[in-house]
This record gives sequence, C-alpha cells and structure tokens, in this order.
Amino acid sequence: MSATASAGRILPGGLGYLRPPAEIELAAYGIDLRGLRVADIGAGEGRLALGAARQADSVLAIDPDRSALSRGRAEAKRLGLRNVSFREGAAQSLELRDASFDVVLMSWTL
Amino acid sequence: MVDALEEARRILVDPGVLVDARPDSRVAARVRSGSERGRVIGTIGTQRDTKTDDQLSDRAVREVLRRGLFRSRRRGRMWHAIPFEDRSELHDYLDEHLRFSRRVGWRVPEAKRGGRLVVERAIRFEILERR
Repeated sequence: MSATASAGRILPGGLGYLRPPAEIELAAYGIDLRGLRVADIGAGEGRLALGAARQADSVLAIDPDRSALSRGRAEAKRLGLRNVSFREGAAQSLELRDASFDVVLMSWTL
Repeated sequence: MVDALEEARRILVDPGVLVDARPDSRVAARVRSGSERGRVIGTIGTQRDTKTDDQLSDRAVREVLRRGLFRSRRRGRMWHAIPFEDRSELHDYLDEHLRFSRRVGWRVPEAKRGGRLVVERAIRFEILERR
C-alpha cells in the first residue's frame, strides 16, 4: 500500500454501524463529488449513495436486493434527498448508457 | 469480477473515476483493550473462503490495470473501529460474521481479556482512473 493521508486513520464504528459512516469513508477517498454524476454499484441500502448525494449532482444506487433498495428509498425520502435514485441491477450487466457517470463507487462490491 | 469492472468502465466518462473499497483480508483485525487507543490484546483472521474471494477480486483489479483499462491514481488503507461491551458480545458477533474467523488469537492470558473491547479492521481502497 502506498502511504496516503488517510492511511492508518481510525474510522468510528459501532454495533449498529458495522460499516464506516459514509461521509468519513468518502472523505478518505479524497474525491470532490460536487457537480458530479455518481453510480454506487452494489449499493445495498444506500449507505454510501446517500452520503454521496449530499455532495454530488446526482446519485444512482444499484443493487440486486430489492428489499435493500426499498429501505434506501425510504431513507432518502426521510432525509429529503431528491437527487438519489435506486435501481435493481447486477454489477456484471448494468442497463445504463455508456459514459453516463463521472464516478463509480464499488464499496464492498468486488 | 473482471466483467463488473468492465461494466464500470463502460458507464464512466473519460477520464472518470472508479473507487474500489473492500475489507483487507491480508491484514488481521486487531482487538484492543478498552478503547481505540488501548493495547492490542488479540487478532482476528479471515475465513479461508473469503480470503480466496478477496484474492480473486485483487486479481481482477490487477488484470484491468494490466490491460490498460484503468490506471491506479491512489491507494490507501483505513481502520474501521467497532466497539464491544465485552468478550461475550464480541464472540456473539464473530459467530454470525461472514468474513472473520470465529476465534480470536489472544495475546494475553484470559484474566486480561475482560471489559470493553474494540475491533479494528482494515479497509483498503484504490482510486482507479478510466483510460
């Protein structure tokens, strides 16, 4: 691993929070998402997608698990995030146009 | 896995960015006593099948880099801290975990394994730029 500013950083967790908070994980990646179109592949309930939606122009969360997507939609509504959408799909065959995103997130996906 | 990376490349603009982030099974998780700053009193490995899957993922990333589909812009590692009230709670967690081994490799005698524990697991990430 190359040394980076985030290497070795401790991310807060918790029993109800078995993955890092989205904003902290996204900050570690060091990508400015403002104005960008983001696809979160293998998004699950949209933990990262919802975090990205706070910065990005638009976010599409894709996952094969329909119930997880449904929970994500409900959370997006609760948070008042209108720039995130959820779609059923598999990483291997995305029904999306060529060159339609600036950033693709694959967190815990590969 | 390579096909998923190829799909990601297809939907990216040139030069878009792909973030690949995963638990790092090459590094054992650390069990600390008390808090995130506490002494490391044990380690937890990764289940064998999961390790094999992770190696396949690594290989897929190497392949798309070798083929020139992406270039690596940056790599790094983070540590994700998960607190537990006690050893019993940790063992309950491990019993249901799909990645971690079921057993902790303790570095201290049983008498020193009490109280709150924090498990830190490594997360690796790589920022890949579409080419």
